[in-house]
Formats: sequence, structure tokens, C-alpha cells
Amino acid sequence: MKASDMKTMTRRALIRSGLACCALAPWLRTLRAVGSTVPQTATGVTDTEIILGMSAAFSGPSRGLGIELYRGARTYFAHVNQHGGIAGREVVIKTYDDGYQPDPSVKNTLKLMLQDQVFLLFGYVGTPTVTRVLPMLKKFQARNIFLFFPFTGAQPQREPPYGDFAFNLRASYRQETAGLVDNFVRINRKRIAVFYQADAYGRSGWAGVRRALKRYGEQIAGEATYRRGEKFTGSMRKQVEILKASKPEAVICIGSYAACAAFVRDAVDLDLRVPIANLSFVGSENLLKLLTGGNADNDHYTRLLVNSQVVPSYEEVSIPGVKEYRDLMQRHDPQPLQDLMKEAYAPFAHSFVSLEGFLNAKLMVEILRRLGGDPQRNQLERAVFTVRDFDLGIGEQVSFGPNRRQGLQRVYYTVVKNGRFVTLDNWKKRFA
Amino acid sequence: MKIQKLFQKTMFGVFALFGAISLSTSILCVYTVDTHLSEEYENNSENIAKTIADSSVDILLNRDLAALQSLIDQFVEIQSIRYIYITDESGEFLAHTFVPGIPEEIRTSDPFNTALVERSLPGMGDFVEVGSPILAGIAGTVHVGMDTGLIALKIQRAIGQQIYLISIILVVGVLAAIWFVNLAAKPLGDLLGYAVDLARGEEGTSNDKLLSRDDEVGHLARLFLYVSGREESESTNQRDEVQRR
Repeated sequence: MKASDMKTMTRRALIRSGLACCALAPWLRTLRAVGSTVPQTATGVTDTEIILGMSAAFSGPSRGLGIELYRGARTYFAHVNQHGGIAGREVVIKTYDDGYQPDPSVKNTLKLMLQDQVFLLFGYVGTPTVTRVLPMLKKFQARNIFLFFPFTGAQPQREPPYGDFAFNLRASYRQETAGLVDNFVRINRKRIAVFYQADAYGRSGWAGVRRALKRYGEQIAGEATYRRGEKFTGSMRKQVEILKASKPEAVICIGSYAACAAFVRDAVDLDLRVPIANLSFVGSENLLKLLTGGNADNDHYTRLLVNSQVVPSYEEVSIPGVKEYRDLMQRHDPQPLQDLMKEAYAPFAHSFVSLEGFLNAKLMVEILRRLGGDPQRNQLERAVFTVRDFDLGIGEQVSFGPNRRQGLQRVYYTVVKNGRFVTLDNWKKRFA
Repeated sequence: MKIQKLFQKTMFGVFALFGAISLSTSILCVYTVDTHLSEEYENNSENIAKTIADSSVDILLNRDLAALQSLIDQFVEIQSIRYIYITDESGEFLAHTFVPGIPEEIRTSDPFNTALVERSLPGMGDFVEVGSPILAGIAGTVHVGMDTGLIALKIQRAIGQQIYLISIILVVGVLAAIWFVNLAAKPLGDLLGYAVDLARGEEGTSNDKLLSRDDEVGHLARLFLYVSGREESESTNQRDEVQRR
């Protein structure tokens, strides 16, 4: 074959190919559109939505936590969606109820990952639930599914082997318990007893207290446990008697609001007159409601209460992030999901839990924005690591990196005054 | 009257036989089930303690105690395991499943013991506890408590099922015995009535149904008829001889 023939043939082939391309162009466009829709839908992103998956307690004695966390997050997402969403897509939360129980949580997660094909997991509630879900994230690591901002301060999602599959916003239980122990020791209350939930959450807090006391050469003075799911109507007298026998100078509770409220009630009734501290997970407003019976003047059970928080007080309207939260909560007033509601629940206008949900959503939106117009799961981690000194509006900058998977570090302490939780500024004056 | 006695004796025999079978089977069953299940539960708890001990090494050395608690919480969901606790190399409790607190008896017991121990915990019940060392004991010990009450309940259930089966067999056996005895007693009663009629020398005594039977009852009936006929002819002959004289 001559070189000229080859040239002619190549030219002919090129013309033929060009004509074929022109003829097929509309079909190719359609095929490309179909091709791009299928994988995008399969990863929780459509042309109009970004779908996040949430499994939390929407029923049972801890339902207040899931409902308030959802309401806070929903408020910010509603605000963003109202203003055009993220690159034209609305943020949608696909929710399931796990009742704060590990097995339903695992089933829900499987459903969210395999059936609903959500883009990421968001706003899970509880340590016993999250610790059981983490191995699933490792199992499906090829799908790049991450858990964002779970409502738990436990260590398993902060350290190997599962730390790489989760991003946390809140401070850890280790930080909360260390802060409480430091402050109690500072006012010379070194005999610290622990009342805790008999599961991974309780053990996480117990380990935090033990670790913090070790720094002062002290040990846990006494310990008592309760079973997860305990109601306020249940008796905690046995637990109070066990702790009373250890002659504590302070008690740290690692539990949920119903059980902790029952413990505080029985402790006061049995004359255990020492400061009783609760961690942020307790759900302060629900605890207060149970202890005061809704009567703000009733401080019989709340005088010696101190709660650690991982977000500032929602009463501090001078903080821009808090003001934004209050304004948007008032404007959107999100209601609990009726489909998941099995028992009556009266939502709070404001709460620490919904504020945390709100801040979680705010940071989530920022991360999703950083993914650009074509969000891909495999780009999520990179997008999170670009968050440096980000201002959520609460006076603490948020940064992430390969060795920094927790955004906030600060712990706040609150006490009850006039039927509301306010910031505690002087431990000595209050408890010495 | 005689038939009833025979019936009663047969029934007594049946009851005595089944009673002896039921009693001996039950005793054997209780012994076998009790031994096997107890052994099985002890082996299971030893295996579970060993599994936890093996899985705990990495968690104890590298991870938070919440992960350890999560691990033992999953095992305590297994029926008949009532408590698990893990002590470290100094004997300090690192994780446990006790509510509302660690019982005094366990708090004061030897934390390094791995041999089988029987415990009676106030307000909780009776338990068999086994232990397994973590990393040959240098990282601590896992202790697993099995509820002996639950084991006893399972043994009772297994024995109950056995006795239930034997009782059904007994009832069926007795009903079958009654039927068989009746089956044998009725022709014997007929035979007795027939024999009495023959002895009385009632006229026209005949029972074709009885005489036509091809069994021992039929043979006896025919024999009675024959003997009765012979006696009758002998007495007729004697009467004729007397008249002749």
C-alpha cells in the first residue's frame, strides 16, 4: 500500500468518523446523561438532592436526643435549601429510628448504605450504637462512606482502627470528664464516684474519669451502674446507696436524661448532698424538665447540679453563631418527624442538643460546598481536610487534618439558675 | 368374676411395666441430660471466656475501654451468660456487666483465678464462673458467669419433654391393653356362659358362633359340647340299664 493511499484512507476514515459522531451526537449526549445519572444516584447525589443518612433515637427514653439533634440540623439545612441549596441541590436527611439500641442501628446503617445509597452518614446518636456501626464503615471502605459528626464523645471513632472513617465536631468524653475532674479537684473534691450506663458509653465516661483521676494519684471512689433504657419512673435507690457507702465528695453521671434525672432525684431524697455532674450527652433540657416538673422555681433537685456542654449556652445571644441558631430556629421551627414518632414529644424552643445539631449541619454544608458542583464520595476526605480555622460563629475555630478528626475542643460548664442552664463561672463559690 | 380378675391383673402388669420403664428412663434421662448439658455449658463458657480473652488483647493494648465493653456486651446477650468481667494485671476491674454494681463477693474474690468456681450472689442467683487469662495473664483475666438456674431450667425442660413422651406412650399402651384384654375376655366370657349352660343341661343349648371359631376358644367349646354329649349318652345308657334290670 502506497503512502498516498494510506493518507487518503486515513482522511476518509477521519471524515467517516466525524460524520458518524455528528449523527450519533444526540444519542451520545443522552447516553452520557444516563451514565452520569446512574452513578450519581447510586452515591446519594441526584440533580436536585444530596441525601444524608441518619439513624438515631426517635423513640424510647432517649428520644429527646435524636429529635432535638435532628431539629437543629434540619433548621440549618432548611435555611440553606431555601437559599438555593448547594450548587442547586437540596440537602435531604433520610432518617431511621434505632431507639438508641445497637442492633437496629446496624440494620438501619445497612439500609442507608446499600438500599438508600446515601452520600454519607450524619448525626448518629450514642456510643453503643456508633461503636457497632464503625466496623461496617471499614467493611465498606471501598465505597468511601464516612460518618459525620456523631452525637457521642467516645474514643472508638476518634482512634484506630476506625478513626479514619469518622469526623467529629464535638469535644470528647475524655475532655469533658477531665474538665469536670480538674474543676472538682481544684475545689478540693477529690473523692469522685461514678454513676454510669452499663454499656460502651458508660464505660467510655468511666474510663475518662479514671484516667483524669490518675493524674492526681486518685482512684474512682465508688461506682454504680444502670441498664440502658431505664425510665425516670424507675428507682435508683440501690445505686445511690452503693455510692453513698463510698462517701463521695462529687458524683459524675455518664448516662441519658431519664436515668440521670431518676438518680439525681433519689440522691437528693436519700440525702446524698454532693455536686452531681452530667456529661453533654445527657440532654440538659430534658433532664431539667423531669427534675423540675416544668416548674422553674422548683430547684429542690437542681441546686447541686453541674452539666458539661460541648457547645456554648444558647442563652448567650452575644455569640453570633448562637444568635443565628436562635433566629433560624424561630423562623423554621422544625417539627419532629411524624413518621418516626411513636410517643408524644414536646420539642424545646432551644436546647444544647439542637444547637449542636445546628452547628453540625453548618459545618456539613461548608464541607459539601467545598466538594464543588460534582460531589463525589472519594473527594469527601480531601474536602474535610481543607477546613482550616473555619469560624462556626461560636468563638472557636474549626480545623481538620489527617491527624485531626475532631473540630471543637472546648468544654463549657453550666448550672441551673431560675429554671435555666447558665454558664458556671465560679466553681468555688458554687460548690466549695 | 374370674374374667375381671384376669383383666385387673393384666392392667396391673401393664402399669407396673410402664411405671418401671418410665422411672428408669427418667432417671437415666435426668442423669444424661444433667451431665451433658452441664458439661456443654461449662465448655461453652470456657470457650467464650477464651474468645473474649483472645479478642481483648488488641483492645486492651491499643484501644479505649468502650470498645472492650462493647465486646463483652455482645457476648452477654447469649442466653445463660449472666455476667462477664475483666480485670487487669493488678486485679482492677476494667469492664463488667453488673447492675447496679459489682457484687461484694466478686469484688473480694481472687481476680486471677481461672478455675471453675460456683458462686451464689445475693439477689442475682447461683452461677458457675470460669476464667481465662489474657496474654497468659500478663494483661489481665476474663471471667464469665453462667446462670445455673437457667441451666437447671433447661435440664428440667428437657426432662419434662422426655416424661411427656413417656406419658403419652403409657396412655396409648394402657388403652391398647384394655382393648386387647377386652378382645380376649369377651369370647372367654361367652365360653364360660356356654359351659355353664351345658352343665345345667339346658335344652337346645347351641352356640354356632362359638363352635365355629378356629381358635382355642372354639376348640374348648367343641370339647365342652363333646364331653357334655358323652356324659349325656353315658347317663342315658345307665338309665336304660337300670330300667332293663
